[in-house]
Parts: sequence; C-alpha cells; structure tokens
Amino acid sequence: MKLAAHYNRTNILITVTLLIIGAAIYFFAINYIARKQLDRDLSEEIEEVEDYVNTNNKLPKQVDFDEDQTVFTKTDQKNLETRFFDTTYINPKEKKAEPGRAIESIIRLNGSDYKVIISVSRESTEYLLQFVGVITLSLMAGLLLILFLANRYFLNGLWKPFYDLLQQIKLFNISEEKNFKLSGGQVSEFIELSAAVESMSARVRNDYRNLKDLTDNASHEMLTPLAVITSKLDILIQNETLPLEIYEQIEDIYAATGKLSRLNQTLLLLTKIENNMINGSETIDLSVLLADKIKQFNELILAKRISVNERLSAKDVFASKYLIDILLNNLISNAIWHNKDDGELVIILNERELIFQNTGTPVALNKDTIFERFKKDSKSEGTGLGLTLVENICKFYAWEINYDFKDELHSFKINF
Amino acid sequence: MKLLIIEDEQGLRENITTYFSDDGNICESCRDLNSAMGKLAMYEYDCILLDIGLPDGDGFTILEYLRAKMKNESVIIISARNSLDDKLRGLDIGADDYLTKPFHLAELKARVVAVLRRKMGSNKGLLVFNEISIDLQGRTVTVNDTAIILTRKEYEMLLYFIANKGKVISKMALAEHLWGDEMDMHSHFDFIYTHIKNLRKKILEANGKDYLQSVYGIGYKFISA
Repeated sequence: MKLAAHYNRTNILITVTLLIIGAAIYFFAINYIARKQLDRDLSEEIEEVEDYVNTNNKLPKQVDFDEDQTVFTKTDQKNLETRFFDTTYINPKEKKAEPGRAIESIIRLNGSDYKVIISVSRESTEYLLQFVGVITLSLMAGLLLILFLANRYFLNGLWKPFYDLLQQIKLFNISEEKNFKLSGGQVSEFIELSAAVESMSARVRNDYRNLKDLTDNASHEMLTPLAVITSKLDILIQNETLPLEIYEQIEDIYAATGKLSRLNQTLLLLTKIENNMINGSETIDLSVLLADKIKQFNELILAKRISVNERLSAKDVFASKYLIDILLNNLISNAIWHNKDDGELVIILNERELIFQNTGTPVALNKDTIFERFKKDSKSEGTGLGLTLVENICKFYAWEINYDFKDELHSFKINF
Repeated sequence: MKLLIIEDEQGLRENITTYFSDDGNICESCRDLNSAMGKLAMYEYDCILLDIGLPDGDGFTILEYLRAKMKNESVIIISARNSLDDKLRGLDIGADDYLTKPFHLAELKARVVAVLRRKMGSNKGLLVFNEISIDLQGRTVTVNDTAIILTRKEYEMLLYFIANKGKVISKMALAEHLWGDEMDMHSHFDFIYTHIKNLRKKILEANGKDYLQSVYGIGYKFISA
C-alpha cells in the first residue's frame, strides 16, 4: 500500500471517530440542556398556577396557558412529589401527536387537592437535535471529501518529485552518464534524498569507471608483452638445433600464449559491449550469414562426422556485423566442439527465434551457471568466456537466450 | 627491401628486426615518434611498421606527416588496440594494413609482402618461385607448367609459405592465418596437417620439389632453396 493510502486511512479513521464522539457529546449535551430548560419553564408554570389559585381562589382556564396543556384532576393523594416526565403532546391546532414534556404536581384549592399536569411540546428541541445531526453529518462528508481531494491532488503533487526520482533510480544504468533530476522539488527531504542518490550514483559510477578503465588498460597493456612472447617463440623455433623436448615445451607456451591472448580479446570485447561502445549497425540477413558460417566450419563438421540439419528462413536483424559474427561463431563452434563424433547439429532460424541443438555429453548442463564467466567443464579447451559473450551480445540487442536439455540434445534458443 | 620499425617495446622491435633481416632486407628501428620523424625526413623506406601507442605521441601523426609530404612508404599499423575506429582511422589516413597485437612474425611478414606486392602493382601479375608460378589475379598455380588445382586454404597456405620461405612457421601461426583467431582452433591442428599433406602431394605430383618440411611437430618450413 502506498504511503498516501496509509496516511489517508489513519487520517480518515481518526477524523470519523472524533466526529462520531463529538456528535454523541453534542447530542447528549443539547438534550440535557434543552430538558433542563423545559423543566425550568414547567416549574415556572406550576408556580404561576399556584399564584393564580392563591389570588383568584379558582382553577385557571385552559386558555391562559397558551400552547401548554393543563389538566386538573381532583385527587385524594396528599403527598405527591413534584415530578417531570416525557409524554405525548397533542398539538391542539394541528391535532398531531408530538413528543412532549410534562410536570405533575398537587395544588390545594378550597380544602381539596388537585393533581395538575402541565405538558409542553418538545418539538423545537427535537428540531435542534436534528439540525445538529445534519450539520455533523455534512461536516463529516465534507471533511472526507476534502481529505480525498487533498490526497488525490495535493498529496500526490507533493509526492510527485519522489516518484519521479524513484523512476529515475529504477532506470539507473551504471554505464550511462545521466544525472538525476529532481522535478520542482522544494521539500527539503526530497532535496536531501536527491542529493544523497546523486552522490551515491556518482561514487558508484566512478568506481565502475575505474574498474572498467583498469580492465581496459590491463588488457591492453598485456597485449604488448604477449606480442613479445609470441615473437620470441617465433624466433626461437627458427633455431632447428634445439632438442625435441624443448620444442614440446615451446608448443605448450604457444598454446598458453594463444589462450591468454584470446582471453584478453574476449575480455576487451565484453567490456566494450557492457559499455555500449559498439557502433556501426546494419541490416543483416541471418540466414545468409548462418549458411556462410556453416560452410566455414565445414572442415570441423566433417572431421567429427556431424550431421547438420539446418532449417533456415530469412530473418533480418539490425545489428553490428562484427558482433553477430562473433555470436554465430561462438554458437556454432560451441555446438561442434562439445559435440560427439557422428553427432547431430540442428540449426533452426525463423522470424521469432534461432535455435542451436547439438548432441554431446548426455547430461544436462547447469542452466543457472552456464552463461557465467569462466564456467566450463574440465575438458574444455576454451576460454570459458564464449557463452558469456553470447549472452552479453544477446542482452545488448535485448534478445532472450535460454539453455535447455531435452532428448539428448543441448539446445540454445534465442528469442528475438 | 628497406623497413622502418617504429615500436617502443624493445623486445618486439628486436624480434621483428631479426626475423626480417635474414633475407637481406634492411631493417631500421626507432622507439619513439621524434626519432621516427627524423629518420623519415632523411631516408626513404619501402615499408613502415608503425605502433600507434608511442611514448611521445600517437602514431597517427606519422601517417599524417607521410600524407602531407606525399611520401610513398607503405605503412602497416601494429597496435594493441583492436578497435574498429582506430583501424578505420588508420586505413583512412593512408595505412595499408592493420595488425593487432599479439601477432605471429610470419603473419607480419606475409602482410608486408602482400602490401609491397600491391604497391608495386605486381599483385595482378605472376609470382614466380622456382618452378612454381602463381597467377595472383586468377588465383591459379602451375608447377613446371602443369596446372595444379588447389583449394582456397591450400592456395592461401602456399602464398603464406612463400612469403615466409626458409622460416619455421608454427602450427599456431598457420591456424590463425587460415581460420582467423575468432574461429578458435584450440589445439586441433589435424586440419592443418591434412591441408599440408594435400598441398605437398599436389606439388610433388606435378614434379615439383619437396618444399614442405615438418619441424619437430611444432610447425612447418618451406625450404627456400
């Protein structure tokens, strides 16, 4: 749940509770005050009646009591406590029953006791209560509406720089030189956050650049000594008087040097791809290029007596010829080197995918680590970077590559 | 031929000099931009081997100088930078070839020979080596006036051997020349043996001399005599 929603929920919960408690207090307070007022009025009425009886020595007529209704009943009760009670008041004009309040008391006239009940309408009090109720309800509705609108427009607006920043952080690409931009933020927390993110990314980028430069420089610097070793060996073998064992040693050095230089080239290429330093794209028909490649590898295919089953339909990609060359080279040579004699190689190309399937060791390789750097089986003579390179090239063009093992076939599938 | 090697790495400079000097070529070398400029101002060369990364500047300066002075030297760049941009830039301002370090001396020699051949305009003519003559344009080979049919690999191999005649060429260097380094031949050199065997047989069948020698399993030599 979003922060705004959390905030909203708490806010509304507290407001509504407060409003309900307030309404209840209002209700009881107004009720109490109104009742007290009525009771006081009724007491005064009784006193008036007593005064009237004492001065005129007769019971007052109904007319004298305005809207109040007075009933005199002769009674034998001597001690009747004066009491107030709720009753039904019949409005004489409208002949309508209304809630009422009444007082009961005893009046002594000419030696006999009369029970007098005066009742008044409580209509106005009820009105007041209803009025207060309506006001409270509309206040509640208004408040909710305002909160809703505030969240919708004001709060969202307030949080906008935050979400913008978040989006930028999500899109953060370490090799891209792009600064974070805080959109119209005057909120100090956001400014602080933005500054922190900015300095963090700058630090990360700097570290990354240093590392990248190191790889780049190291790889380059290694090439010259490698060239020296290679040329020394080339000179050394011109001397044909060396004992045979020395030649064997030299051959091993050649192999190691060759491998080292391939490793170096691949590492350099990987750095280049990871840094988007590949330029010069063109439209390439993969089927044509693939057919060429298969021809190129024909010797190896024949040597292992591998039967090749190619089902290629035209597929144009817009990419660097150089990278696609490397991609196909690696996939094909991978499928040949790791194949067994008299094995099988299936190459399928269509509009959506490119699939390489080959026989080989009858055990599935580890899907999770197969594309990792320097992961290779102990028998492999490769650099351990071939499939990493393949994966990186695919990633560079946003293609998806998967490894699968089914029916004795190792399968690499690229989804365009 | 007269060569100028501009390379700051002493070991490499010496090796190139050793390898090229054998056939009576004249090799001069220098280790930085300044001395190279001095030599170029005074002497003429057939071919210049130019390292791009020099201690006192980059080798492109030399190319620009040669172009400005309308000098005729062929230039082969030898660089540790395998970048397409550098390659294009170099070729654009007058380099004839671009070789990435590390390289085999045999490969360098073959490139130099090819570049010089192109410069002389003899790349369209006939390359004659004893009884073997190669029509460079038609890519056909005759031995003692008998035409022999070579596959593309055998043809390339023959040219490579002739350029490096009298030298022991490692299998590694041959493999890289024939298949390129991206094809990763590892230690599977049986293919080379097959090609060598076929080439040798074809020359012998046309009554050619047995030029190809295996050297201690490490490589092959095309004897010059």
